[in-house]
Amino acid sequence: MVISDAVRSAIDAEIAKYPEKRGALLAALHLVQREHGWIAPETAKAIAEIFEIRAIEVMEVVTFYNMFLDRPQGRHQVRVCTNLPCSLRGARELVHTLEQHLGVEAGETTPDGRIHLGHEECLGACAWAPMMRIDDTYYENLDAEQAKKILDSLK
Amino acid sequence: MPKITVDGASYEVAEGRTILQALDDQGVLMNGVDIPHYCWHPKLSIDGSCRLCQVEIEGIPKLQIACNTPVRDGMVIHTRNERVEKAREGVMELLLINHPLDCPICDKAGECKLQDYAFEYGVPHARTREPRRAGKKRVDLGPTIVFDQERCILCRRCVRFCREVPGTGELSVFSRGDQSVIETFPGEPLDNDYSMNVADICPVGALTTKDFRFKIRVWFLEDVPGICTGCAKGCNVHLGVANNRVYRYVPRRNDAVNGTWICDEGRLSYARIGADDRIAGHEVRQPDGRALPVSIDVALEEAAERLRGVIDRKGAGAVGILASPHATNEDLFVARRLLEALGSSQAGVAVRTGRSDALLIQPEKAANAEGCRRLGFGPAEALLERARGGAVAALLVLGHDALATQGPELLETLRGLDVVLLADSHRSELERVAQVVFATRVVAEKHGTLTNHAGRVQRVVPAVEPSFDAHAEGEIMWRLGRALGLPGFDGAWDLQAVSKALAETVPAFAGIDLASVPPDGVPRADR
Repeated sequence: MVISDAVRSAIDAEIAKYPEKRGALLAALHLVQREHGWIAPETAKAIAEIFEIRAIEVMEVVTFYNMFLDRPQGRHQVRVCTNLPCSLRGARELVHTLEQHLGVEAGETTPDGRIHLGHEECLGACAWAPMMRIDDTYYENLDAEQAKKILDSLK
Repeated sequence: MPKITVDGASYEVAEGRTILQALDDQGVLMNGVDIPHYCWHPKLSIDGSCRLCQVEIEGIPKLQIACNTPVRDGMVIHTRNERVEKAREGVMELLLINHPLDCPICDKAGECKLQDYAFEYGVPHARTREPRRAGKKRVDLGPTIVFDQERCILCRRCVRFCREVPGTGELSVFSRGDQSVIETFPGEPLDNDYSMNVADICPVGALTTKDFRFKIRVWFLEDVPGICTGCAKGCNVHLGVANNRVYRYVPRRNDAVNGTWICDEGRLSYARIGADDRIAGHEVRQPDGRALPVSIDVALEEAAERLRGVIDRKGAGAVGILASPHATNEDLFVARRLLEALGSSQAGVAVRTGRSDALLIQPEKAANAEGCRRLGFGPAEALLERARGGAVAALLVLGHDALATQGPELLETLRGLDVVLLADSHRSELERVAQVVFATRVVAEKHGTLTNHAGRVQRVVPAVEPSFDAHAEGEIMWRLGRALGLPGFDGAWDLQAVSKALAETVPAFAGIDLASVPPDGVPRADR
């Protein structure tokens, strides 16, 4: 079974909140991705079946949003915000530093599968720029040394 | 009915239509009123994404997109003023920012809306210095279509087509913003019965068909209006002709028949016209079994001689015609007259059947099966049964569809006859059992009319000339009738006269002669 019973019932609970089934698609994708780490084609098909839409319509949504992954990536999602306020506060240099530190380019995963490094659009934490998101946690007011240490602490 | 004014001209239009739809209904869109557009298509839902069709409407401060703005009584629209043209120029500049401008190697060049509108509204220089977005140049979308990501302007016509017309929905826009790209679901190619239409509706060179790609520059092609002969639907097509060769079919719009689409199978059937297995000349079978190439006159004399023998021995009523559902109404009318002149009722037709759908594809795999019925040709089975029973001694066989429907048993039946004359366009087993073989023209090589499944009579004109001596079935039978000295078969072959006689004597064709059939055909009359 592609989607576990627990996730399936959580999806049904989300669907119940919306006047149209499709309204719960984003919530469902979050739930499924939490369980699987990414949205594989067969997972998209299973979701499409639940929502009575085409699998390709699920993929439209998956590929539209940065937070959904259409291929397996590292265990930890490290996303540095590079929108204007963060960039003014050195975010682009920060990305560059982290690229060198990890030996990968933004958009790539470390060979050990530990970290996927990437850019992120505004996460609404401009007052604490520059910032990054690691999985579901924000790290703010960063400087290069701090950020490297945080990455090193990831398992 | 709302009245609208467009560039000073008034139109009374239907309620609830948008400006582009209303102008299309009037038949003036791009035909007097030129509002450039990419994403809008008359047979697809409205997208409103390309922004090129902006027009000025009096009383509305901002320009509006004509594709998605409903008409209102008294609306005054301007499509050509400075403001509108400035907006188009802006849209074109944005659309061209990432366009690769690889027109010299693009197969769409010459029939590309991006080229046309860039020529009309584009600025002659780029204001950007940034590198153009790079993309994949040859994405294999499926068995029929190749996709160039760089040329795509994301109008989504292909996406909507797949969802709304065949209903298969293989295509979609993945990602967003300047990363947006048309894709298929992983491992599920673009593969449906109508897939190649996406290349027609692609306004740029992003989607091209594998079949036609790089065969010829389109500006060398002459578009000859014609009818697809793949099935009984009679889809209207343009035959793309150059060097006396048909390079492709593209759909020709006829809202009463095929709208703006044709099926892939029909589209590819053009290849039959110039196929290697054409019967490229008339033949008389020698006693030793070999086929001797002969002139039409010799073939006719041989055929008449053999028929005379049968008539003398068994009477003219023993001569039958197994008609072809690919022959024109005029050809079939001559067949009918020949039988009438002989006093024979031995007529039949074999129509190959196959897969059909609710959209265009008809079960009968011939363009004029309905015409045969209207001209009195019943099922081949009955005729062949009578032939097996000895009531038919000579059979003039048109085409080889009966081979497909009757199987090898047909050959046995024909071998049992005294005389078998074949008039056909493509080689088949039938040649082996015929004493005389006449090379016939295919629909794309002759004048005539065809009756589609719904009884609509449509006109065909020659798009190409065969490179060998071949004649319409009607002409062959006319000359055969003359060689036999049959009443009514005198004078030279005259298609116009035959057509006139058809219109005058067969009620189903009353008033329909070659000269009077308009480009979109004549619908079935309730008579």
